[in-house]
Amino acid sequence: MVERGFDIRRLPGAATLAIACFVILYIPMVILVVNSLNGGQSISLWEGVSLRWYAVALQNEGFLNAAKTSLILATTAALVATVTATMAALATTRSRGFRGEGAINLILNQPLMVPEIVLAIALLIILAQIKQATGYMGLGYLVVAHSAFCIPFAYMPIRARLQGMDLTLETAAADLYASRFYTFRKVTLPLLAPAILAGFMLAFVVSLDDVVISEFLKSPGQDTLPTYLLGQLKRNLTSEIYAISSLLLLISVLIVAGSWLLTRKKT
Amino acid sequence: MATDAETLSIRADTRRRWVLALPAVTIITLFSILPLGVVVAYSFLTPGDYGNVKWIISFEGWFHVLFERDIFDDTVSLSDAHLTIVVRSVLLSLATTGITLVLGVPTAWFIATRPQRQRAFWLFLITIPFWTNLLVRTIAVQEMIRSDGIVNRLLLWLGLIDAPIQMMFTNFAILLGMAYVFLPLMVLPVYAAIERFDFRLAEAGYDLYASRLYCLRKVVLPQVKAGIIAGSILVFVPSLGAYVTPRIMGGGTTLMLGNLIETQFGQGRDWPLGAALSLTLTALVLVALVWYTRLTTRERRDG
Amino acid sequence: MLEIRNLTKSFGRGATSVTALSEVTFPIAEGEFFTLLGPSGCGKTTLLRLIAGFEPPSGGQLVLDGRDIARLPPNKRPVNTVFQNYALFPHMTVAENVGFALGAQGRPRSEIAATVERMLALVQLGHLAHRKSGELSGGQQQRVALARALAPKPRILLLDEPLSALDMKLRKDMQVELKRLQQETGLTFIFVTHDQEEALTMSDRIAVMNGGRIQQIATPRELYDQPANRFVASFIGESNFLDATCARGRLVLSQAAGPLPVSHPDGPVTLMVRPEHVVLGSARGGGLTLAARVERLVYFGTDTHVHLLLADGARMVARVQNALRGGAPCAEDDVIEVTLPTDALRLLPKEAG
Repeated sequence: MVERGFDIRRLPGAATLAIACFVILYIPMVILVVNSLNGGQSISLWEGVSLRWYAVALQNEGFLNAAKTSLILATTAALVATVTATMAALATTRSRGFRGEGAINLILNQPLMVPEIVLAIALLIILAQIKQATGYMGLGYLVVAHSAFCIPFAYMPIRARLQGMDLTLETAAADLYASRFYTFRKVTLPLLAPAILAGFMLAFVVSLDDVVISEFLKSPGQDTLPTYLLGQLKRNLTSEIYAISSLLLLISVLIVAGSWLLTRKKT
Repeated sequence: MATDAETLSIRADTRRRWVLALPAVTIITLFSILPLGVVVAYSFLTPGDYGNVKWIISFEGWFHVLFERDIFDDTVSLSDAHLTIVVRSVLLSLATTGITLVLGVPTAWFIATRPQRQRAFWLFLITIPFWTNLLVRTIAVQEMIRSDGIVNRLLLWLGLIDAPIQMMFTNFAILLGMAYVFLPLMVLPVYAAIERFDFRLAEAGYDLYASRLYCLRKVVLPQVKAGIIAGSILVFVPSLGAYVTPRIMGGGTTLMLGNLIETQFGQGRDWPLGAALSLTLTALVLVALVWYTRLTTRERRDG
Repeated sequence: MLEIRNLTKSFGRGATSVTALSEVTFPIAEGEFFTLLGPSGCGKTTLLRLIAGFEPPSGGQLVLDGRDIARLPPNKRPVNTVFQNYALFPHMTVAENVGFALGAQGRPRSEIAATVERMLALVQLGHLAHRKSGELSGGQQQRVALARALAPKPRILLLDEPLSALDMKLRKDMQVELKRLQQETGLTFIFVTHDQEEALTMSDRIAVMNGGRIQQIATPRELYDQPANRFVASFIGESNFLDATCARGRLVLSQAAGPLPVSHPDGPVTLMVRPEHVVLGSARGGGLTLAARVERLVYFGTDTHVHLLLADGARMVARVQNALRGGAPCAEDDVIEVTLPTDALRLLPKEAG
């Protein structure tokens, strides 16, 4: 029998700190949700459980528009990012090295190396002038900007999967009379699908979460959920803000749980 | 010659790869790299009268990052306001990294040493805040420490204080907010490193008469160090450039670099200075990243 | 049917280039079980990959049924491969794996289904048709890989060390199974292995390779009995090598009692004799007789290895079958007489170094 104290896995204090960490992470979020369920008019007085503020939020035109904008923006940006990142990952993997490989990788990771606020300012300078010159005020600016900073997030899991992929599978397909396209469709793509999905979800959430770039680039009246929330914060804290925050929290839980179930089924 | 045919096929392959990568490369070049180039250009221009710039080359923007000139007698002195903010940003980011290290590393250790089936559950608990909107999490912390938030109310009820403590809009508030929002960024890479660690190595260490501490230092730490460094970088870099959390937690008075940069781009403000400050921030981040890559590549060479 | 002509492959360019295969030329006959044997890095896998089309050759031709296929892509060659790690598609079922090639060729569904069924019956895996390939044991994966490569009826089946991942027992079974499949289908097999026993038991002909060159091509028995050079002799089976000289029709061995008449051009040679042919004492047919001291006896169950030290410091091993009674044939430190029978002696060209 090995003595318990011998097991290096049981570090004294680690469990205590870990539990403290989980408590610290969750208490603010739980209190946020509890506050959103306050039936009272003021956030400082508790007047019983009610979904009243959710109803208020869901009838609020500003919130609904922001939600719609966010959804369209995140979906389009994540789609563009995933498709282009998949192509790029196919280009930069499964090779003995080619001229410019390093440059491509550097470019594709560049958005990760620049602070968000700097990228926001930089885009603002350029896009403000394009806005003035063309008069176009639509969602296009946000879509391209979001696509750009989402690409590295989609690129990472897809590239990692391709690097881990058994190269002989594609060789085997070619040996079995498959053309390049048939091999891609029947072998590479199905094996890559989980990573592409993961890349898409990562890009989607990164776009959905973005505050700074959207706040700087949005045209008047063009709020996303985070910028709408930020705008509301400038006024007074209300239970409605807590309700909207709780809804966003719920979306995250759903996404995490969803991806959890997806990967579960695969393995 | 066959080797010519090989050269040709290598060229065709390279061309095909570039074509595939082109859309992603173009988007990032146009909407991330090019704008940064414009910022570089702006930092060497003269401020316009109503914001924006005049196309006259000037180094005043860079000059004003650290110095100020007295408007009456033109004497040059260090710009206390800017220096304070730069120093505060670096210190707060270091402190944030420190706090997340203290909490995050034991947590990662705890998760990685759970039995396989329980690990998924604990990881799930870490990933939920990780994927939750940063703004929402900042609002959640704000709710805790505002004047009639839960902490003050609890302290009042316990009789420990007579009047609410003003915690919001202080350095402490910013630090608390950043540590809270960036904590999951520390746990995940450290967890990944510990999870890869083969605990039989620690047993081998014990077998060779190592004490627990010696074993941790000489066997475990070298193998999980990469994860700890990665986690530190993942926390430090966004802390340094943080904008949203300091804005909410610090209010209008206590600023970090990100907020200082933003204010330079308002109407009638100094855009070249803002551009120079942006590049200063980017440079600080790059220093951290370069330090990180050098550390990890040396690690790989030695290992 | 397959003519390999001056096939050469080098990797890299200029000063750093490495020649993996140099000027290899030989034919392979229809229906043959042909084995490429050699240590790792000898070029056997490179040769296989060139035949499969996974690498372009640096020079030479591959003439299959009168047509040079050396520069065709792998999907245009009537040649299929069983990979070392099997390379089964993990996201497909066994049946989908086996039917892959026919699908790629655009054959009708009914034909694919029929062929898949026939192939799975051939490798006795019909009951696993709808399993995912990851759920199979190593031996089963091996059979699926075989069925998958056989399904499109290739002209040649290439097997790249297909048995190396299996354990000993399964390996023996699969050796028999492979040979049966080859005889049943009448197909040409080109088999790559570094395991000499596997090569000897299964092949019709073996090409022994080293350093990117063919050392000898022969039947298993010829290879063992008449090795062409020292490399082949030492790679296949165990051998004793002694330095000797031929002078005016006589073989002179410094340690031996007297010279032996031979028909061999004059000059230094390497004398090779298999340990099981060395006789302790004198032999009936005559041969070279030498004195030796017994250094060590190693018991192997069926036989005993007698390690001998000769007068000039050279060493050799004799393998003596163990008798039911009587114990060891000699004791350590005995000085005894050994005979190398004339018909067991092989003269190999003396190699430099």
